[in-house]
Amino acid sequence: MAISSPANIGRGNAASAWRHVDLSLVVTTLLLAAFGLLMIYSATRSRLDDAGLDPQYYLQRQALFVTIGLGVMLVAALVDYRVFRDFAPIIYAGTVGALVLVLALGSVHKGQQAAFDVGPFQLQPSEFAKVSLIVCLAAYASSIRTEVDGRKLLVILGLAGLPMGLIYLQPDLGTSLVFAAILLGMLLISGVKARFLVALLALAVVGMVAVVHFGVLKDYQYKRLTSFLDPQADTTRSAYNLAQSKTAIGSGGITGKGLFKGTQTNLSYVPEQHTDFIFTAVGEQLGLAGSVALLALFAVIAWRTWRAAALAKDPAGTLVCVGVLAMLTFQIFENVGMTMGIMPITGIPLPLLSYGGSSTLATFAAIGLVLNVHMRRFT
Amino acid sequence: MAVAAENGRLRLAVVGVVVLSLFSALFARLWYLQVLDSRSFVAAATTNQVRLVYEDAPRGRILDRNGNVLVDNRRTQAITVSRHDLERLKNAEEVKARLSALLAISRDELDKRIADVRYSQYKPIPVAEDVSEETYTYVKEHQRDFPAVDATIVSQRTYPNGDLAAHLLGYVGEINDSELVNRKKDGYRLGDSIGKSGAELVFERDLRGSPGVTKLQVNSAGEVVKGEPLAVVAAQPGKDVTLTVDLNVQKLAEDSLKQGLEAARSAVDRNDKKHFLAPAGSTVVLDPRDGAVIAMASYPTYNPGDFINGIKPDVFAALSDPASHFPLNNRALTGLYAPGSTFKLVTAVAAIERGMVAANTTITDTGVYNLKGCKGERCTFRNAGGQSYGRVNLTRAITVSSDVYFYGLGARFWQERGQYGNGIQETARKFGFASKTGIALSGDKAGVIPDPEWKKSFCKNVRCVDDRWFTGDNINMAIGQGDVVVTPLQLANAYATFGNGGTHYAPRIGAAEPPKVLSTVEMTPAMRQPILTGLKQAISKDDGTAYGAFLGYPNSALPVAGKTGTAQVRGKQDTAVFAAFAPADNPQYAVSVVMEEAGFGGASAAPVARRIFAGLAGQPITPIQLGTGVD
Repeated sequence: MAISSPANIGRGNAASAWRHVDLSLVVTTLLLAAFGLLMIYSATRSRLDDAGLDPQYYLQRQALFVTIGLGVMLVAALVDYRVFRDFAPIIYAGTVGALVLVLALGSVHKGQQAAFDVGPFQLQPSEFAKVSLIVCLAAYASSIRTEVDGRKLLVILGLAGLPMGLIYLQPDLGTSLVFAAILLGMLLISGVKARFLVALLALAVVGMVAVVHFGVLKDYQYKRLTSFLDPQADTTRSAYNLAQSKTAIGSGGITGKGLFKGTQTNLSYVPEQHTDFIFTAVGEQLGLAGSVALLALFAVIAWRTWRAAALAKDPAGTLVCVGVLAMLTFQIFENVGMTMGIMPITGIPLPLLSYGGSSTLATFAAIGLVLNVHMRRFT
Repeated sequence: MAVAAENGRLRLAVVGVVVLSLFSALFARLWYLQVLDSRSFVAAATTNQVRLVYEDAPRGRILDRNGNVLVDNRRTQAITVSRHDLERLKNAEEVKARLSALLAISRDELDKRIADVRYSQYKPIPVAEDVSEETYTYVKEHQRDFPAVDATIVSQRTYPNGDLAAHLLGYVGEINDSELVNRKKDGYRLGDSIGKSGAELVFERDLRGSPGVTKLQVNSAGEVVKGEPLAVVAAQPGKDVTLTVDLNVQKLAEDSLKQGLEAARSAVDRNDKKHFLAPAGSTVVLDPRDGAVIAMASYPTYNPGDFINGIKPDVFAALSDPASHFPLNNRALTGLYAPGSTFKLVTAVAAIERGMVAANTTITDTGVYNLKGCKGERCTFRNAGGQSYGRVNLTRAITVSSDVYFYGLGARFWQERGQYGNGIQETARKFGFASKTGIALSGDKAGVIPDPEWKKSFCKNVRCVDDRWFTGDNINMAIGQGDVVVTPLQLANAYATFGNGGTHYAPRIGAAEPPKVLSTVEMTPAMRQPILTGLKQAISKDDGTAYGAFLGYPNSALPVAGKTGTAQVRGKQDTAVFAAFAPADNPQYAVSVVMEEAGFGGASAAPVARRIFAGLAGQPITPIQLGTGVD
């Protein structure tokens, strides 16, 4: 490594740190991104072509996001994560500010006010807020030298609860659930007493029951959340979506119908197919073989992230990695699970596979953080 | 951080286990969907993407025995609207506006056509027929602008001969629920056309053909995907069906029947001093050699063309009104009439084949028959018209239609039942009475030949003076009265059976149907000859009951043997009946004529048959003149 390496910004010796970079995580991430590009193309080409548009429209845009994402990942790995601790209050304030701003000035898409229009792109602050929450919670929790008492726990809950509430107002139930997952994972590892955790979980259950009972959820949210429990009973759009989604995956069989040959995919029977329901394109065209391969790649990411958490030099590193692990695992399980009818339908993207700039960049940033922690495990 | 390293490791392990189990859950679910339950999802995906578009096959034509077209098809380019789809459109008004502009008809007119009650919601409604190629193509190519609208080839029944042979041919209509249930396995669908009666129903299987099916790939919006259809099964046109009917004879029969009824209406009934009503009647022409129906007429009739695209309610109401005497009924099969003296053929055969009488057995006909050992008016039976014929044998009894002679036979059959059994009934059944004729047309009635058991069971449901069988019942039966009722087709077929020497065929209307023998009436020439002579002389001898009706008929060209009948119907004027065959010794035609409330058979019915025979003989056809016969 050259002395003039830009990695000198951090506290540790960046040049030596790069020697310990987790190449398998990098390669797996790149493979997943490429997998995603192929699936997005397969899910959109015939629809675009039928409409007389450029069949590579989504492919090219996603390729751009991935390219930028690689840069983001590099930067996220480059700056020593221990530096973030100093900037955590600023990051947190910026994030909350952006989330407030989007509620006031954001553009409305499909009933959600969740994004800023930036030229031809939409910037979704909630996607980036997930990563910044991980960083900020890690920063705060690792700074606690004593046992996490009730007051400090409330601070942690408050830190997570504020952006979560703002996102729920957009309304984006799915992403606020991701926040809950991140919070849960990080609390578990932050040394909060077991009885507090149990009490929190109990509170969460009571809260959920209350939410369902007292109509906090909007009607369509309730329906979407519960239709997977009894698809026959519901004839609304969400049940139709779920049925078509399961049909796509199930009809793929073991080997799939072949790339570009999925009828459910090509004939737009599955909604949101290049975004939230991208897994159906995998299941239908590539079958069990392709789906298992995809899940295996995700599993490698999870394993490397978990390993980075275990090997981390300090609690902050462990907390960051566990936060990322919780975020990715929840998103994968919820997204893939919803397309197969074992989880409620909520709008959560499948990391690296779903089309979308903000989600792609945020995922790359998160993986960059894991690389960051991992390569500085000795310094 | 205050947490012990050990505790931290444990908690991290817990995280790892949770992550692992979540991935395992996903894998298990994948296995279930893509391996265990894959088959049902494959089926669901297939039905998703396929839409079947049906095209009606052109129905087969119906031809007469010489290949003349009786029912044809017209293929026309039509613009159709699906009411079902239109009602579900958000922009239905826009589409209708566009369509009315394209077809150059007003919105009101378009709405009226779409609202046509003749069409069910499953059947696309043709709002414009015989449209130009341009209009047709425009709609085809601009389906996005015209949802619920289609440009199709519509195939319609046409009747080149108008209402000719309406009852025989029948009509076609939209399939109803019960037909659909019965025919579902044959691939019928809602909105399909189906033969409802007559030959259209009998030969439905041949005439229908099989509809064309195009399998199209559709996307989730129901739009057809560009490119080749997935599969195309071309429509198989229905087969032409040839009937045994002769177009010209049918015309002749219908005209003659109609004229005969009109002529009868000009005459006055001497019983009630009123003009005959003569509202309805039927005539049948059979080929005695094989049972083929050459003509079958029923009056009043209807126009099968009224049923094209569904019948208008007011037209149907008129057809169903009792005042119009049920034009939809085919009286040749469904009309039950007392045969009157035409039934004497049966009594005569029954008596002579059992040796009850011989050809030379005579009685003295004084005009009145008194039942022995019985007192009162009910014991006296008179000849129709009250004439006395002096000494009569079997031949003469038939020629002059001596009731007294046959009263005697009827009485003896009952009095000597130990020896002769129910002889008249048995012979009647062999001639095809009291059972359905076996013709393929639906609605065929069996009629009644009464006997003691029949009377007993009949009187359980209906109030009778007495449910026992008396000699008088036999006497009435012997001359085709009492409870005897037959259809015009049965009557023609009985005379055909006698004419051909005793072979009883099932009447048939399909040229491709093989002849079918149902029973045989055993008659030696010695038994048959005196009866045949009697039938010939009824036409040719100057005291024969049909002599007047056949006066001037070229009997040498086509010699006729026949019998008149005049049946009394309680509360109505007499039914005029005539049955005959020709040439008498080697018959090619058997004819029955039955006319309701038209008086003597010799006066009203025989002239109708005469006109038909004259036409069959290739002789000039003259207008009907009433005969002079009194039976």
